[in-house]
Amino acid sequence: MTFSADRPTMIEFKDVHKYYGDYHALRGINGTIKAGEFFSLLGPSGCGKTTLLRTIAGFEDISSGVVMIDGKDMAGVPANVRPTNMVFQSYAIFPHMSVAENVGFGLRRDPRSKAEKAQAVAEALEMVGLKGYGNRAAHALSGGQRQRVALARALILKPKVLLLDEPLSALDKKMREHMQVELIKLQRQVGITFILVTHDQEEALVMSDRIAVMFEGEIAQLADPETLYRRPATRKVADFIGTMNFIPAEILSESGDKVEVEAKGLGRATLDISQAPARTGETPVVGLRPETLTLLYDGQPAAERETEGVIDEVIYFGDMTYYDVYLGGTDVEVRLSMRNVPGRPVLEVGAKVRVAWSPQALVLFR
Amino acid sequence: MAQTPSSEARAGLKLISPPALYAILMLAAPLATVLVYSVLTGERGRVSLPLTLENYYDLVTRPVYSALMFRSLTVSFFVTLATVLLAYPIAYFVSFHVAPSRKALWLFLITIPFWTSYIIRVALWRTILGYDGIFDSVVMGLGITDTQPNILSNGVLSIIITLAHAYAPFAVLPIFVSLEKVDRSLLEAGQDLGESRLMTFLRVTLPLSLPGVVAAVLIVFIPTVGDYVTPELIGGGKTPMIANLMEVAMLKQRDQALGSAIAVAAMTIVALISVFFVLWNKRYLGGRK
Repeated sequence: MTFSADRPTMIEFKDVHKYYGDYHALRGINGTIKAGEFFSLLGPSGCGKTTLLRTIAGFEDISSGVVMIDGKDMAGVPANVRPTNMVFQSYAIFPHMSVAENVGFGLRRDPRSKAEKAQAVAEALEMVGLKGYGNRAAHALSGGQRQRVALARALILKPKVLLLDEPLSALDKKMREHMQVELIKLQRQVGITFILVTHDQEEALVMSDRIAVMFEGEIAQLADPETLYRRPATRKVADFIGTMNFIPAEILSESGDKVEVEAKGLGRATLDISQAPARTGETPVVGLRPETLTLLYDGQPAAERETEGVIDEVIYFGDMTYYDVYLGGTDVEVRLSMRNVPGRPVLEVGAKVRVAWSPQALVLFR
Repeated sequence: MAQTPSSEARAGLKLISPPALYAILMLAAPLATVLVYSVLTGERGRVSLPLTLENYYDLVTRPVYSALMFRSLTVSFFVTLATVLLAYPIAYFVSFHVAPSRKALWLFLITIPFWTSYIIRVALWRTILGYDGIFDSVVMGLGITDTQPNILSNGVLSIIITLAHAYAPFAVLPIFVSLEKVDRSLLEAGQDLGESRLMTFLRVTLPLSLPGVVAAVLIVFIPTVGDYVTPELIGGGKTPMIANLMEVAMLKQRDQALGSAIAVAAMTIVALISVFFVLWNKRYLGGRK
């Protein structure tokens, strides 16, 4: 991660609550977003991520708490004077204007001359890869082009914060992946704080410096992508980010910085306290990512630990094969992934296998 | 499969033939008759050859025709202006400030004036605007004037007031429809890009609702030019408009050729103005570019 935590704070939430009538949409949001950061609000639909974004933009009043942007309390500051600009989910391109008029919409009160403004519009269009599109009719653009126009229209105003409300969700998969990379490059180029709302965990992991995972109006975890993936704070976060196997476990002892557990099908393992996030009071389980498990082929020794198993399902993906495996005589099924490299034949359902695993890859939820 | 389009076209023609026939009989045929009559000679309720432009010559040379045509256009202009200016805020309110579940109810309420016969509404306006009528009593009761304003004595003004009231609901509906189609995120985008609510309205909402305004203008302007009932009832026939003149020519003078010529002339002028308005609107107010 290139992001450094010592940058100045751009946005700060202090105990932000939002009610719609009886519905408690935001339940005490706290956190800071740093200047120049690519920050994502990630969560399932209805978790409050878009509401939180709109409180930054000024489209939603908050019921209580404080939203600060660049050190200023935003209470009572209307959307049109906030130092933020937004790329809307629908892109909100003005259909009665040309591409250039759309991009230059926010420049009306800019004191620069007409020619200078036209120059700025042309530069903004070039930046998003739409050079020479200025005279096109906005309603004749494709989805990807509309999104670029929306980006240029927001970035031309040089906001302190760019807000992106699920900007890629309307694009097809190829285009989405392409735009993810473009957005990252663009963000590095302009250095503006980007805040992205998405329900796509992969997108958030690829693009963000840090991610706030939200459930039911609360931030469940705020961390960089690697921490989020490797050390999810709760079982719910772990389940939402990528795939994780959950194996029933029993806590045998906990002393100082070590926790000893007995996981069903795996056996005893000693975990470092860093592998056990704070208690939430749930039934103890250990979590394992599919890629931390490996099938052992004949004659191959396990690096650390191994367990017998029987293949229950084979899911072939081309570059990868996913196996669902029953662990050593139990009804615990884990999913593991194997790269399809030469010398690794795809195994069949019912085959007896050995599964290698490492205690360091475990996370304990309790 | 190559025959499919033509057989489809034939089926289509068959399907539309009854209404097409009806339209030809009820619209095209009378229109053609009027056109033909206008270049014939009319006398005692009959028309006869030879073809002549005498009727049109009369229209141009005798000032009463152009004066009444001008009055009709003036009345229509102000009725249209008043109607659209009054209807826009109503349409805006219903579209933007009424809960979606209540919109149908509001539109229903807007049609309430139609429940009463137009004749009765005109009669009510006489009561309101007439000498010592409701308006006079209120104005004098409030001490605004000492004498009765008696708006009814001003024929053109009372016709404008009455027609504007009658046509307001017609103007509300097309404007409402065009406002409903304005994507609400565009308004947030306008504000997000630094514009106040008012400027966002002027730069986004208003231009996008112009098709509805144009429709409203045409819906109000075209029929009011040819309005016959209102001048007849409001001014007691003392402030005639072009349609009243047509009636005189057709039924009193029994000169159907002259009456037809007046109708054709009025129709042409209205058509020209409407086309000009639509073109002007496209050119300068810009629809969708």
